[in-house]
Amino acid sequence: MARLRTSPTRPVRLLLLLLLGTGTQAAEIQFNRDIRPILSDKCFLCHGPDSGARKAGLRLDLEETAKARLKDSDLFAIKPGDPARSEIVHRIFETDPDEMMPPPESKLSLGPAEKEILKAWIAQGASWEGHWAYIAPRKIRPPAIEDPWIRNDIDRFVLERLRREGLKPAAEADRRILLRRASFGLTGLPPSASDLDAKEPYEATVERLLGSDRYGERMTTDWLDLARYADSYGFQRDNNRYVWPWRDWVIGSFNRNQAYDEFITWQLAGDLLPDPSDEQILATTFCRLHQQKVEGGTVEEEFRVEYVADRTHTFGTAFLGLTLECARCHDHKYDPITSRDYYRFFAYFNNIDEAGLYSFFTQAVPTPVLAMTSDAQRKRLDQLNAEVEAAKADLARVRKEAEPAFADWLKGPLPPAHIPGLLARVSFDEEQVGKHGNAANEKKAASTSNRNTSIPGRHGRALELTGDDAIKIETGAFNRAQAFSVALWMRTPEHKERAVIFHRSRAWTDSASQGYQLLLEEGRLSASLIHFWPGNAISIRTKDKLGLNTWQHVTLTYDGSSEAAGLTLYVNGRAADCEVVHDQLSKGIAAGGVKHFAMGERFRDRGFARGAVDELVIVGRCLSELEVRHLHDGSSLQGAIDARDPKLFDWYLATASTTGQAAAQHLQAKRATRDQHANSFTEIMVMRERSRPRQTYVLHRGHYAERREAVDAHTPAWLPSGALDHPANRLGLAQWLTDPGHPLTARVAVNRYWQMHFGQGLVQTTEDFGSQGSPPSHPELLDWLAYRFIASGWDLKALHRLIVHSATYRQRSLPNPETFRRDPENVLLARGPRMRLSAEMLRDHALAASGLLVHKIGGTPAKPYDLKESFKPMNHDKNENLYRRSVYTYWKLTGPSPVMMALDAVKRDACTVKREPGSSPLQALVLLNGPQFVEAARVLAEGLMKDFPSDPDRCIREAFRRLTSLEPTDVQRKILRDMLDDQRKHFQGNPDAAKQFTRVGLRKPGEDLDPVELAATTSMISLLMNFDASVVLR
Amino acid sequence: MNLCTGFEQASGGSRRQFLNRFGSGLGGIALADLVNPARADTLPAAPHHAPRAKRIIYLFQSGGPSQIDLFDHKPMLNKMHGQELPDSVRKGQRLTGMSGNQSSLPIAGSPFAFSRHGESGAWLSDLLPHTAKVADDLCFVKSMYTEAINHGPAITYLQTGSQIPGRPSFGAWLDYGMGSANDNLPTFVVLVTRNKGGQPLISRLWGSGFLPSRHQGVRFRSGADPVLYLKNPTGVDDPSRRMLLDRLQEMHEVQFAEIPDPEIETRIAHYELAYRMQSAVPEVTDLSDEPAHILDLYGPDVKTPGSFAANCLMARRLAERGVRYIQLFHQGWDQHGSLPGGIRKQCRETDQASAALIKDLKQRGLLEDTLVVWGGEFGRTNYCQGKLTQNNFGRDHHPRCFTMWIAGGGIRPGTSYGQTDDFSYNLVDGGVHVHDLNATLMHLFGIDHERLTFKYQGRRFRLTDVHGHVVRPILA
Repeated sequence: MARLRTSPTRPVRLLLLLLLGTGTQAAEIQFNRDIRPILSDKCFLCHGPDSGARKAGLRLDLEETAKARLKDSDLFAIKPGDPARSEIVHRIFETDPDEMMPPPESKLSLGPAEKEILKAWIAQGASWEGHWAYIAPRKIRPPAIEDPWIRNDIDRFVLERLRREGLKPAAEADRRILLRRASFGLTGLPPSASDLDAKEPYEATVERLLGSDRYGERMTTDWLDLARYADSYGFQRDNNRYVWPWRDWVIGSFNRNQAYDEFITWQLAGDLLPDPSDEQILATTFCRLHQQKVEGGTVEEEFRVEYVADRTHTFGTAFLGLTLECARCHDHKYDPITSRDYYRFFAYFNNIDEAGLYSFFTQAVPTPVLAMTSDAQRKRLDQLNAEVEAAKADLARVRKEAEPAFADWLKGPLPPAHIPGLLARVSFDEEQVGKHGNAANEKKAASTSNRNTSIPGRHGRALELTGDDAIKIETGAFNRAQAFSVALWMRTPEHKERAVIFHRSRAWTDSASQGYQLLLEEGRLSASLIHFWPGNAISIRTKDKLGLNTWQHVTLTYDGSSEAAGLTLYVNGRAADCEVVHDQLSKGIAAGGVKHFAMGERFRDRGFARGAVDELVIVGRCLSELEVRHLHDGSSLQGAIDARDPKLFDWYLATASTTGQAAAQHLQAKRATRDQHANSFTEIMVMRERSRPRQTYVLHRGHYAERREAVDAHTPAWLPSGALDHPANRLGLAQWLTDPGHPLTARVAVNRYWQMHFGQGLVQTTEDFGSQGSPPSHPELLDWLAYRFIASGWDLKALHRLIVHSATYRQRSLPNPETFRRDPENVLLARGPRMRLSAEMLRDHALAASGLLVHKIGGTPAKPYDLKESFKPMNHDKNENLYRRSVYTYWKLTGPSPVMMALDAVKRDACTVKREPGSSPLQALVLLNGPQFVEAARVLAEGLMKDFPSDPDRCIREAFRRLTSLEPTDVQRKILRDMLDDQRKHFQGNPDAAKQFTRVGLRKPGEDLDPVELAATTSMISLLMNFDASVVLR
Repeated sequence: MNLCTGFEQASGGSRRQFLNRFGSGLGGIALADLVNPARADTLPAAPHHAPRAKRIIYLFQSGGPSQIDLFDHKPMLNKMHGQELPDSVRKGQRLTGMSGNQSSLPIAGSPFAFSRHGESGAWLSDLLPHTAKVADDLCFVKSMYTEAINHGPAITYLQTGSQIPGRPSFGAWLDYGMGSANDNLPTFVVLVTRNKGGQPLISRLWGSGFLPSRHQGVRFRSGADPVLYLKNPTGVDDPSRRMLLDRLQEMHEVQFAEIPDPEIETRIAHYELAYRMQSAVPEVTDLSDEPAHILDLYGPDVKTPGSFAANCLMARRLAERGVRYIQLFHQGWDQHGSLPGGIRKQCRETDQASAALIKDLKQRGLLEDTLVVWGGEFGRTNYCQGKLTQNNFGRDHHPRCFTMWIAGGGIRPGTSYGQTDDFSYNLVDGGVHVHDLNATLMHLFGIDHERLTFKYQGRRFRLTDVHGHVVRPILA
């Protein structure tokens, strides 16, 4: 379908007016309408905002510089009123390739009309205007014209323009056409047979449609394109993701007519609202709907930056109508968006605990997340938390009460020093490298490759590691409620940027690994328990660096609390001074099915190369400081025993006190129950600010690793809105965006909804309100609508009502020859809209007309027949999901619904605010042969045959009405009757074929109908489903 | 809307007729400029110069075939087998996260024997005996390079000129710029080898990005319905369908008389083209009329529907029928481990059929104006990923140099272009970037890659972004 831009033809038309003196009024050159588009498109590339690309120091996007004396010259680029002394006039008419502008190598050229207009503009005085879109809409009075045609103020703007152009509006469309137009426009569905018969006043129809739940579904379909919604992560591997609750929130939000400013504020920053509800947080899933990566070997930061960039671009396209992405690598070529401006927007979205990769080996949801809990689940969690607290109090009480018993015990005969609960004790004393005995459990020996070498150790012998060969022991399967400790002697030759000392996990963070680990990072020890890094983990790091080339004893203890405070690192028997890196662990650390505790190496991570380890000890309990010290010096515990030291209290409780042991076990059991419950919660990706802000940098050429100037979140000064003191976070951004003084937000929104109803916006480039975008066809109308939208409290239903009530909307769509010649694209609105039904509407139409459509709002995505034919084939559903509205169709980014794609849906791999519906032979095949459509045709045929037995003419009429909302003309009736008769004759000769044809789809036909008549009627209806009047809204 | 491209051609006259019916009026200004100004200033008329190629068959080897074991003969690697890759060669360049953290990067020489072939004396390993026989028809570009180090971005880069999804694919650009050269088939057809695992392929690799969706590639599935819902529903035979289409056309003609909207004529034309495709597509995908000596040429796999060999033969049939862009994908070249066995299997699947396609096109005089491209998204490392053992090793992704071969359609045959260092690690001479390759292929179609642009979101986009140089030395 043609979607033509009118701006390039404008110079032609304008020039004709200038040269021929024809037209209804004198040709007046307007800078923003006539000149800026030419300068922007043909000159700004080298003489525009991008200082890096600017040639000859000449800048033509600002009046001041454009009219200034040229650098090192007496000449002027533009001398108002004096084309002869304006250098650009000479240059654009120049034919010498060395002198002409634009230069040949730019592959840009000016048409003769464009050159003449530039010259004429300079001759007229070169009047300048700021770019319209950056100046806030003013309160505008609709033109004071009266005409019986006018129904509301929209029409005054339109009619005023038509009068200027010497055109007349078209007559009002037929009632049924209008009903069809509004039904699809507001609900995405056709009017029902009874709607067509009811003599409901149009205004009442509009109210009924706006009040229908179908309205929210219709509005959501478009919002899903804008939000790049998909049920899979995209990029290459494209696993499933769970985000549809957000889609359902959007439907509900539209249906209850949430104010648009609040609607977008929640999606950008619901989590930052005071005391946010789960619903407000859920809205921010919007910001996480970009594609995500899992491909092995990927540089995590590269894609994290890509995610933030996607959020920034989506924000620009969806809300500002600006192509922010152009300024990612350099200053914008056409608009005043500097690269710095870009990264200051970027900074707003750069502050969550996320990873550039989602989990390869586990089902962990990329953080930050919201637990989608029911009231019952939350109540149960509260109760289990209370029980954990009670168990903690109980333990404290037991400790207190154990003091007298301890005092008695201390006086009696004491056991020798020992550490109970050992799971592993490996000395590495064997000279033969390979198998290393485990003194705590003979069956679970340590094993390693003989590429590691045996060396003299801290005690006996030790192992020196290659970094590529792990030492493995089948033990250490701890859940996060389980207290445990790991101790070893280690010696490192260097501080190392990163090295794995020990871990229990599948792979490093490039696979978003789960488990626990001890790393050496820049000489510091770092211990973590991880569900999903970095947003669902506890992690601490020592402040001091480890000494080099010397044996040091290192112990990690964990108390089962799921808190960073429960982690302690000891170096040489002393608790090390640590900082908390992460303190948010709410899900399991099951390690993705790994069976081993491992030292010195991890899949695709950096191993402990040339590091040495000795005397590994693993204990299923949180060791006391005394015990840790004992592991270090081999004597502390015995010394305390000998001295009958009260410091033995913890050791006593853990080893000798039955009440102490029982209380500790009770606490652990309570935690395990609580954790198990929490582990079952379904999570959804949302936004949550980091506790410590992440610094944003200008990235040179947009490259993730090329950091330059540090910048903070801020909105650009050239785009002011009334909100001055907004905080430097996403909530502040939303406040800035939704301030009534913002020049773009309301315009961009009303333009998009205008496009929804007219097929094209008042600004045709819905996605670009910048310098390269097309100027508005009706600037005053756009501003009036925007102003009114804001004044109405951003009331979307009121906006739709206003548009569809207008006489402009109600016109017939058929142009008369004169208006078509003058305005083939209907920019002037001398006729009503004409649009091919969208992909979703075409399918929903067939389902609705046949009565198959299942009216159920929300829920898990549906998999209709065609997903079996997708590039990533999957089984289709075999239940009512086959007949649900297309807004619910499961969307897999690497293999989206082939029917939707053939019918010109967008892929949704990036924010899209405009589709380009056309026609193609592939569409014909889908509508003629696709089982969804064939089945729907047959089900409709069945229904009609039952309603009007032995009355084929009535069936034809009803089918025609259901599928076109119109009465068939006599000619149409005859063609369809001939068709039916011919098909009947055909199937009479092929009764088996008739049976087969009527069995397409899961829904089987009733046995009572004659298959031949049913097949013939189905064919006739199939024809109608492919007929222009059924496919195109007119 | 492009009056002169793609499926629009079938109904190209309609808008013009409509305008003429009402009198177009504006005298000297080109009609085309009026009805499609967005195109008027970007693509006055492709071709921009005399084309050498009319069609292209792109044999994409997905996963990244090892240049070291197939084309880029490096005895130095055998000499230094097992030794650490010298820092002087690697120069601290970024590695993937898969081998980047290995403590040791031992060099792995190719275990396959290399020899010279044809008059041109092209070096090839003994994994490619059939390719060796057509070496004099091929141009080996040994100095390909890219910036992407992982599959998703790298394939997307070659196919769309951008590592990040969203841009139109090469075939879509060509369809947009040149339109169809046949009446019954799509312009841009994609064939994927069936039952291959490995790195996933993605439908955006033949997508239309921001170009209208009709320019996207049509993937022919191996099976009964090569095109989505090509076949009539069960129980509907050809006469019944013809009857329906005739009546539908009648309805549309009546509608057009009432509502003279050119889109209605377009719709009529599209239903007719769909109908023709219903016979043309099964005809082209049915290999049963190929004589035995041709089947033998492509090798035994040719009888397995969906095999690479069958797809090569189908590619020739599509080329004969004027399909402009024929894109094959063959997965499975991603040999991080067990390379020797893996690459042998890949070569068994692809070597004979690739060479057969060249011979077959040549004997029909089609090679002259048909481009054939063979290669993957990047090369592989000279060092071993994982453990280097006596009989086994793997290679990681290597973007800094890799080999592709191109033949026919104005490419200089029997040549080798560009040079890598003794380690097949860095480029020494004649680097050909992804954008350079695309610019060169476009050039052979008579298209100036800088002038085939589409304005989207305020910017003129093109396949080669703001880069790309035609590699003139490889042109015939």
